[in-house]
Amino acid sequence: MSIDPFLVWLESTPLSEWVVGSPSLLAFPGILALHAIGMGLAAGLAAVLDLRILGVARGVPLIEFRRFRPVLWGGFWLNAVSGVLLLIGYPTKALTNPVFYLKLLLIAVAMVLFVRIDRLIRTGDASTPAAARSLRRLAITSLVCWSGAITAGRLLAYTYHRLRA
Amino acid sequence: MHAAQIWLVRAIELHSPVATLMRTHWAWPIAESLHFIGLCLLVGCIGSFDLRLLGVARRVPIAAMHRLVPFGILGFAINVSSGLMFLLTEPDQYIYNPSFHFKVLALGIAGVNAGLFYLTSYRQVFGASPSLDAPRRAKVIALLSLTAWMTVIICGRMLTFYRPGDCVGELGLLLTCTPK
Repeated sequence: MSIDPFLVWLESTPLSEWVVGSPSLLAFPGILALHAIGMGLAAGLAAVLDLRILGVARGVPLIEFRRFRPVLWGGFWLNAVSGVLLLIGYPTKALTNPVFYLKLLLIAVAMVLFVRIDRLIRTGDASTPAAARSLRRLAITSLVCWSGAITAGRLLAYTYHRLRA
Repeated sequence: MHAAQIWLVRAIELHSPVATLMRTHWAWPIAESLHFIGLCLLVGCIGSFDLRLLGVARRVPIAAMHRLVPFGILGFAINVSSGLMFLLTEPDQYIYNPSFHFKVLALGIAGVNAGLFYLTSYRQVFGASPSLDAPRRAKVIALLSLTAWMTVIICGRMLTFYRPGDCVGELGLLLTCTPK
């Protein structure tokens, strides 16, 4: 079964045509700019938390980093929405490229890691040496996932096989 | 200004060993990925410090939060390096690009603003008693910093949509088209 009829339909919807075809700066360029800002907030604040776990800015109590959680989630949801809009604009370009699925997987893993790290911090279980070790492992994995997700996202512009259905 | 821009583009084009490297198959995408990773490091570290000045996570000593700033500067260094590699490879795509002009302006504002923070607020904020609330002036600086960096990102992302074409018609203060 081919996904092509769905892609053809999606690309013919008014929303898709607006994202791709509108001369407005708020359309494709604006959505891309929001996607970059959301990336900076989500990946950036996650990286800051990871760095803190790895020993940077030890004077900041880990529990207090939870105050930045809404900003991180705000960045995440900004990118979920802007990402879906970009996907509606160019569904064939993304969905026929394996790198796109790799990017989604890396983001999903990175967010699960963030939630797990956050839970360890909130429950206060992070104080034992064993927990501190596992926290460090989670932080390193998180940094690797975010770097990979960003790289995969950038490579989408260079690795696609089909632009439109 | 026009003559200076044209001279700069010609000067870069004449001696740019970086361009040879950047035109190899994966060099440009890799430099772009590093540019985005540097962006996240910069926004995460500087942005969270600005948010602390503005009153988020008030119980964290500002001096402790400031330990993140060197890593923000590391992100900035990554981005200056990778950014220069783009500029040294395709100078006309940046020197004549209005979005690049605004990006450089916003970068300048962010820089002067950071300088103002260390000149006017640094000592107060890092005083003997760990201040819970930053003074008003430091808050204004933090807000300006966040705005300037967001502008840098937006202008950076808009570069592609303002690629200079050939010069026709009237010219402004800065060249925003490629002269013949």
